[in-house]
Amino acid sequence: MKKFFTKINLVLLMVVALFTTSVLSGCKNKGNEFVIGMSGPLTGGAAVYGLAVQKSAEMAVEEINALGGLNGYKFKLVATDDMHDPSKVSTNYASLMKQGMNFSLGCVTTKPCLEFKNLSKDDNLFFITPSATNDSVPEFANGYQMCFADTKQGTFSAQYINSNYEAGSLTIGVLYRAGDDYSQGIYQNFIDAIDTTKFGNVVVASFNEENPSSLESQVQSLKNCTLVFLPIYYTPASTFMTQAKDIISPNCVYFGCDGLDGIDGIQGFDINTIPQEISYLSHFNSNATTGLAKEFIDKYTAKNGKDTLNQFGASAYDCVYAIYNALKKAVEAGKNVTPKTSVSELCEILKEEFKTLSFNGVTGNNISWDSSGFVNKEAVKYIVKEKNS
Amino acid sequence: MKTPKKIKWKHFINYIVIGVFTLIFSLLSVTNSLDLLQKFLLEKIAISILLSVSLGLVVGFLGELSLGHAGFMCIGAYLGGKAASILEPILGSTLLTLTISLVIGGVSALISGLIIGLPALRLKGDYLAIVTLAFGEIVKTLFLNSSEDSFGGPTGINTPRFDNKYLFIVGFVLVLFMLFVIQNLIRSKHGRAITAIRDSEIAARATGINVVKYKLLVFALSAFFAGIAGVLYSYSNYTVQCTKFDYNYSIEILVMVVLGGMGNINGSIISALLITFLQVELASILTGNLAVLQNILYALVLILIVIYNNAPSLKGFRDKYNFKNLIKRLRKQKFDPSKEIDDEAKWDRVPTKIEMNEVLSLDIKVEESTLKPDKGDK
Amino acid sequence: MLDFIVTFINGLSLGGIYAMIALGYTMVYGIAKMLNFAHGDIIMVSGYILIVFMGITGNIPLSILISIFFAGMFGVLMEKSAYMPLRGASPLAVLITAIGVSYLLQSVAQMIFGSAPKYVVIANLGSVNLFGLSIQLYKIITLAVTIVIMVVLSLFIKFSKTGRAMIAVSEDRGASGLMGIDSNKIISITFLIGAMLASVACTLYFLLTPNINPTFGAKPGIKAFTAAVIGGIGSIPGAMIGGIFLGIIECFSNSIPVLSPYTDAIEFLILIILLLVRPTGILGKKRKEKV
Repeated sequence: MKKFFTKINLVLLMVVALFTTSVLSGCKNKGNEFVIGMSGPLTGGAAVYGLAVQKSAEMAVEEINALGGLNGYKFKLVATDDMHDPSKVSTNYASLMKQGMNFSLGCVTTKPCLEFKNLSKDDNLFFITPSATNDSVPEFANGYQMCFADTKQGTFSAQYINSNYEAGSLTIGVLYRAGDDYSQGIYQNFIDAIDTTKFGNVVVASFNEENPSSLESQVQSLKNCTLVFLPIYYTPASTFMTQAKDIISPNCVYFGCDGLDGIDGIQGFDINTIPQEISYLSHFNSNATTGLAKEFIDKYTAKNGKDTLNQFGASAYDCVYAIYNALKKAVEAGKNVTPKTSVSELCEILKEEFKTLSFNGVTGNNISWDSSGFVNKEAVKYIVKEKNS
Repeated sequence: MKTPKKIKWKHFINYIVIGVFTLIFSLLSVTNSLDLLQKFLLEKIAISILLSVSLGLVVGFLGELSLGHAGFMCIGAYLGGKAASILEPILGSTLLTLTISLVIGGVSALISGLIIGLPALRLKGDYLAIVTLAFGEIVKTLFLNSSEDSFGGPTGINTPRFDNKYLFIVGFVLVLFMLFVIQNLIRSKHGRAITAIRDSEIAARATGINVVKYKLLVFALSAFFAGIAGVLYSYSNYTVQCTKFDYNYSIEILVMVVLGGMGNINGSIISALLITFLQVELASILTGNLAVLQNILYALVLILIVIYNNAPSLKGFRDKYNFKNLIKRLRKQKFDPSKEIDDEAKWDRVPTKIEMNEVLSLDIKVEESTLKPDKGDK
Repeated sequence: MLDFIVTFINGLSLGGIYAMIALGYTMVYGIAKMLNFAHGDIIMVSGYILIVFMGITGNIPLSILISIFFAGMFGVLMEKSAYMPLRGASPLAVLITAIGVSYLLQSVAQMIFGSAPKYVVIANLGSVNLFGLSIQLYKIITLAVTIVIMVVLSLFIKFSKTGRAMIAVSEDRGASGLMGIDSNKIISITFLIGAMLASVACTLYFLLTPNINPTFGAKPGIKAFTAAVIGGIGSIPGAMIGGIFLGIIECFSNSIPVLSPYTDAIEFLILIILLLVRPTGILGKKRKEKV
C-alpha cells in the first residue's frame, strides 16, 4: 500500500487533497449565528481598502457579540477575497451563500460591487456597501450605500468651491485617475457643477496607474493653479504632493474627497513637509478628537495599528451597526428574526426598518437612507493641515 | 485496395471523457442537484479550458510565445457582450442570441488575431512576446477610455447573464467544438506543417511550406477561440470590465499551458481544470485573515510542480514513477519499445523542441566533475 | 518651451530609473536566457530591506549600502532555489517559476509588512538653478548615477575576467563550459549584479516616489521589460537607451491632458512600430538562423 502512493504523480495527489478539502469545507454548521458576508480585495494592490473594511467590520461584530448578539444569536463575519477582480465575485458570492450568509456588506470596491448587486438581486439578499461609491450600486431595491455616491461627492465639492471662494480669485486644477470609476465619476460631476463663468477654465491632468511612480508631468501642467481638486486615493495623492511641493505655490489649496482620508496616517509620511493646505470633504475624519469617531479610532489603532485606518473601515463599522440597529428594531417590533429566516424575508424586514432608521455612527450623526438606497448624512470639510506660514 | 482504417481510441478519449462528464453534470443541473458554486465553477473551468487550449495552439504547436491572449478575450467579451445586450431585448434570452453574439465576438477576435499575426511574420521569440503583451495592454487601455455610451469606460458594459443552469453546458459544448477543430487541424497535414515551422522555420520554408499562411491561420484560430471564451465570460458575468484582461491574466493562461506540457492538448485541459479549481477552492476556504495564504500556497504549488515536471535532475525519478508506468505495471504489461514508434496518434503530443544548447548543457552535467575549472589557475 | 525642457529632464530622470531596472533584466536574459518576471519584485524587497535597516541603524547611507548588499544576496538565493533546478529545462518552464516567485514575494511581503503603503524619505534634496531653470537635485543625481553605473558595467564586462566569462556564457553556454568557465557561477554573479542594480534603482525611486507597498514592483518591472526590448534585449547600452526613451515618452504623453489617459497605449504602440521597423530592438544583435 505504501508503495502505491509513491507511484502516484504529484498532480494526482493534489487532486485528492483538493477534493478532500472541498468536501470538508462543505460541512459547516448553518443557522446558529447570523453570517455577514463580504467580498473585498484582501490581497493585491488594493488590499489596504479591503483589509480596512474587514478589520473594522470584524471589530464591530466582536463588540456586538460581547453585548450578547441579537435575539440570542451571535454574529459572524465571513470575508472573501476578490483581489479587486469582478470575475471572482460570482464564486465568492456562491461560496458565501453556501456558508449561510444572511446579509452582506457587498463589495468593498466599485467594480466588483456592480457584479455583486446583480448576483444578489435574484436572491433578494440585503447588502449595504461601505465604500462602493458608484451611483448605480444601489440600483436594485436590496442594495444600500453607506458612503456618498460619486455624483454627490463631485457636486458637493463643486458647490462648496462655488459658494466659498470669490470670483476670479482661483485658478482651479483637477488631477484625476483616468480609467478609475471612482475618480473619473467624481471628476465628471465636478466639472459639470463647477461655475466656470466665475473661475474660468479648469486645468485638467490625469494619470492611469494605481500607484503612479512619476506625476511630474502632471505637476508641470498644474503648477499655476491655486486650488487643485484631487478626487483620488491617498497613496497617489501623497506622491503628487511630494513631487509638487517645491513647484506648486505654497498658497495653493489641495482639496479632495473621502479618498484622501488617511493621508496623514501613511507610515513615514510627514504631512508637515507639504507646504500647501490639505483639506477634504468627507464623512469621516481619521484625526477626530471627539465623539464616536474618536472612540472608533482609539479602538481601531489599539487593535490594528494606524496603518489601515481610513474611511473605508469607519464606514464598514457603521454598516455592521446599521444592520444591527435595524434588526434590533425589528426584533422589538416582534418580527421573526433568526439566522434561519430566509434571506429574502430578512431583506424585506431590513428594507422596512431602513426606511425609518436614523442612527449616530462614526461617519456622521442622524444617518438615514432614502428609498433608493442612497445615504443621507452630512459631508464635512476637514482641514488636515493648514498651509505652512 | 485500401485497408479500412482502424479506429484509434486515443483520438477520441478526450471527447468521450468531456462528453460523459458534461452529460452527468447536465443531468445533475437539470434536476437541481448542483449548487450555485458548482455551476459557477464549471463555467469558469469551461472558459479556462477554451483559453488554455487555444493559447496552447500558438505556444505549444507554433512555438511562439504570446502574452496577449487576454486581449483577444477582451475584444470577444466586449463586442460579444455588447451584441448580446443589444439583441437581448429583441430576441430574448435564447440560444439564438447566444449564438449570434458568440459569432460576433469570435469573428472580431479572429480579425484582431490576423492583425497581430502580421508582426509575427517578422518578429521572433521574446520580441514577438512583448508585441503581443503590448497589444493586450493597448486593447485594455482603449476600452478603459471608451465613452460612457459605447463601452462604458471604466465601469464597463452590463451584459445579460444566461441561465446558470445551462450556461456551463454551452461552455462544454464549445469546448468539444474547439477540440474537434483544433485536433483535426493538428492531426492533418496542416498540423504537421505547423509543428514543422515550430521545429525549424527555415527547414519548413525549404520544404515548400507556406509559413505566412500557417502562422496567420494559427494566430487567427487561437484568437477566435479566445474571443469565444470572452463571450462566454460576458455571459457568465453581469458586467464586463477591462481591468480583468491585463497581462497578469494572459500570464495566468500561459501558466496553464506550460503546466500542461507544451503541445499537449489533454495536458492543457487538465491543468486548466486544476488551476481554476485550485483558485476557487483556495478563495472559498481561506477567507478573512487567512486570505493572504492563498497566493502563497498557489505560488508554492506552481513552483514545485514546474520544478518537479521540468527539472533535468529529476528526470530519472519522473520516468520511474509516472502515471503511465503505474498503469503499465498494474496491467503487468512488459514495456515494448517497438510499439512506441510510428504511432500516428502521437501527433497531438509531439515532444517539445530540443534546443542544441539544452543537449549540450545536459551532456556537461554528466561529466561535471571532470570539467570543473581549476581553482588554482589564475 | 520652458515646459518642454522641464518635461524632457523629467523624462530623462524617470528613464534613468527604468534603464537601471532594464539593465538587470537584459543581463539576466542575455546570460541565463530567461525572462525574470520576478525582477520587479526585487525592487520591492530591496525597498523593504532599506526600511527595516533604516529603522534599526538610523543611518541612511549605511542602510542603502546594506540594502544593496542584501538585495544582491537575495537575487542569488532566488536563483539558487527556484531557477537552478531548472537549468537546462525549457525557458518557458523557468518563466513560470519566475511568475510563481513573483506571487510568492508579493504575498510574503504583504504578510510581513502589511498592505498599507509605507513612505520613506531618504533625503530632502533641494533644487539647483541651471541656465534659469530650477531643476531638482535628485533628477541630476539619478541621471549621473545611471550613467556612471552603465559605464562601469560596460567596462567591467569588457575588460574583467568575469565580465568576459559572462560574454562567453551568453554566446554559448556549452562551449564556454568546455573552455573551463563555470557557467553556474557566472549565472549567479549575473543575478547578483542584476539584483544590486534593482536595489540601486529602488533607492533612486525613493528619491522620486517615496511610496512603497507589496505590489510596488510590478509596474516598473513590466516597464523595464519593455525598455529592455526596445533597446534590444541582451544589450547593455540598449537597455540604457530603451529606458530613457520610454521615460521621455511617458513624461511627454503625461504632460498632454488629451493623451495622458492613453499613456500606456502610446508607449506600447511606439514599441510595436519600432519593432516592426527594427525587429531586434534599437541595438539588438541579429542572429543568423541555422538549420
